[in-house]
Amino acid sequence: MLPVSPAVNRARRLQVLGAAALLTFLSLHPGPPVRADQGGDDTTFVITPEFTPPVPGSYELMHIMRAPGGKVLDLNGKRRDLAEFTQGKVTLLSFIYSSCSDPNGCPYAYIVFHTLQNRLERDPRFAGKVQLLSLSFDPARDTPEMLRLYAGDNADAKRPVEWNFLTTASVGELLPILDDYGQDVYLEKDPDTGKWLGTFSHVLKVFLIDEHQEVREIYTTTFLMPDMVYNDIVTLLMESGFKP
Amino acid sequence: MFMHSKRNSIKTLAAAVAAVVALGMATLPTVSQADETSCSPFTPLIKGQEDFVYVWTLGVQGIGDGSDKLVTVDVNPKSKNFGKVIASLSVGGRNEAHHLGLSDDRRYLWGGGLDSSKIFIFDIHSNPAKPKLVKTIDDFVAKSDGIVGPHTFYATPGRMIITGLSNNKDHGGVSANVIYNGKGDYIKTVPVPTTMVGGAQGDGYNYDVAINPRRNAMLSTSFTGWNNYMMDLGKMVKDPEAMKHFGNTTVMWDYKTMKPIKVFNTPGAPLEARWSWAKGDNFAVTTTALTSNIWIFDQDKQGEWQAHNVGTIGNPADIPLPVDISIGNDGKSVWINTFMDGTTRYWDFSDRYHPKEVYTKKIGSQVNMVSQSYDGKRVYFTTSLLGNWDKKGADDEQFLKMYYWDGKELKEGFSIDFYKEKLGRAHHMKFQVRDLKSLQPLRAEADAPDNVRLASLPGDGK
Repeated sequence: MLPVSPAVNRARRLQVLGAAALLTFLSLHPGPPVRADQGGDDTTFVITPEFTPPVPGSYELMHIMRAPGGKVLDLNGKRRDLAEFTQGKVTLLSFIYSSCSDPNGCPYAYIVFHTLQNRLERDPRFAGKVQLLSLSFDPARDTPEMLRLYAGDNADAKRPVEWNFLTTASVGELLPILDDYGQDVYLEKDPDTGKWLGTFSHVLKVFLIDEHQEVREIYTTTFLMPDMVYNDIVTLLMESGFKP
Repeated sequence: MFMHSKRNSIKTLAAAVAAVVALGMATLPTVSQADETSCSPFTPLIKGQEDFVYVWTLGVQGIGDGSDKLVTVDVNPKSKNFGKVIASLSVGGRNEAHHLGLSDDRRYLWGGGLDSSKIFIFDIHSNPAKPKLVKTIDDFVAKSDGIVGPHTFYATPGRMIITGLSNNKDHGGVSANVIYNGKGDYIKTVPVPTTMVGGAQGDGYNYDVAINPRRNAMLSTSFTGWNNYMMDLGKMVKDPEAMKHFGNTTVMWDYKTMKPIKVFNTPGAPLEARWSWAKGDNFAVTTTALTSNIWIFDQDKQGEWQAHNVGTIGNPADIPLPVDISIGNDGKSVWINTFMDGTTRYWDFSDRYHPKEVYTKKIGSQVNMVSQSYDGKRVYFTTSLLGNWDKKGADDEQFLKMYYWDGKELKEGFSIDFYKEKLGRAHHMKFQVRDLKSLQPLRAEADAPDNVRLASLPGDGK
């Protein structure tokens, strides 16, 4: 057995714990039982709305702001500009950190992205037109190596719907991006000692960006529902002639 | 390859289940019921003790510097400054300061002027004890295509919905909702309907909005235009023509698409819009200023929104002028202030179709705004309605008063005379904490665990 670095061990542990938090969230909620599909080997966990999301193309998404750029690192540790990842396709962007265990936060965003990626890939017309993007706000721990483990197969570049995972070289390079997007993040500290507890406080925000780099929708957990996001993606693509 | 990936996902999830059990992690953060109930469900809420109350205060000529100002009051009983003004930030000039609204992350506070149509954005996170003015929007009318009188500031993710009360064509009440992004940049203007929608005629008037994200519903109410809200109250009520120009409708919107679903006839200027956040409630309430009615809005069995006139406040013939309201955290009670008699009224909403007034207390010669803490144990009152509508002479009391509420009686905690302090007319209030990290998750998110359903997406795994 090959030796595994402490960092890798930690990443694997965090990955499991993040999923554990999500399952905790799901398992305690009333509702129809989570089911496996007919194949028996695939279960999808999503939150469905109490209303029927509007039909794609029946509404217009607002032009909220220009999608900001910034200095980032890709999974190979290469310096890139965030703007490279938000143009030419409809992009869904979330700010996350891999050790987040808030069931209303990053783990939920992860499962929504995973669900959307699978759903979109079943229709070849979405290939190359939609991409997913997760940017860590924990550069000290979420190194490119760590994020590669966190991403798993989701980040496979051969997938029809790409899911890129990014981090930054430093907090100094991260902060302007967070400020520009309006993503609040706080260090959670021990009230007695003032020492950082290793966790962050943040309101989950997910940004839907059109192919022209305009932010067209922002979701918090309240409205981050795969059906809704899917319809919004289709609505944006319809602006460029996509026929649902 | 992808099926392989899915199997791995299931294995990971299975491992996670074991981890949950092994680590004893099967707990969730406490899910609480409610709040400072008028805040947007997209804004983090203060569930514990609020540290500061910001009061958007109208400048009065000859009092202090005469300008509108944001007044900060320390309201933490453990503070040595409890019940005292600790900061006052003048914005220069008189704008008919009216309402405030918190940004979606509670780091900024927006305040509007109904006369100047200026909007002031304050930083309330860098030092919550001493807000800082960081931006003034002075082209609201031009940007919004003629909308006048920014009233309500209601945060949605990355945005602010601003209700306009008037327009620059006739300064009447036909207006719109104007949407800005969180940086203070204009996005779009959404007119209030003036056509038939859902069987009733829209009048285009506007006042307040409130959103229920669980039902993708937004309720808007209606008041009057610049011609009236800037007129002397005594003069206006004697002017039959002026009295014709009040809003008589409420509108239920599809929040996601910002399209009106249904207009309701609710005569007599329905003002504040509030949703009950109690699990399963999904009803909204408003009161009408001129006709003293209580209206609730909920869905029938077919899912269609309906309005119900469920009560009368005081003697409508006396025009007690119901103004601000505050709904209890469980949707079982509503504070209703009546301006003319300076009285607050506690209504039992246990049966929302048959609410009952069960307690009253005179707060002062006039009273307008009411805000309660998350737990309902502290209730704050201020006095000013509009610069030209407030009472005259000795009856023109201007104060902030805090009371403790034990479920039976209000007991005064502190009182600040805004004239004696040379501040001005005390209007809208918003709470803040010293440490923003202590804020609880979004109201709607806190509710979500009890309301979500789990399902498989169509087509998944097929």
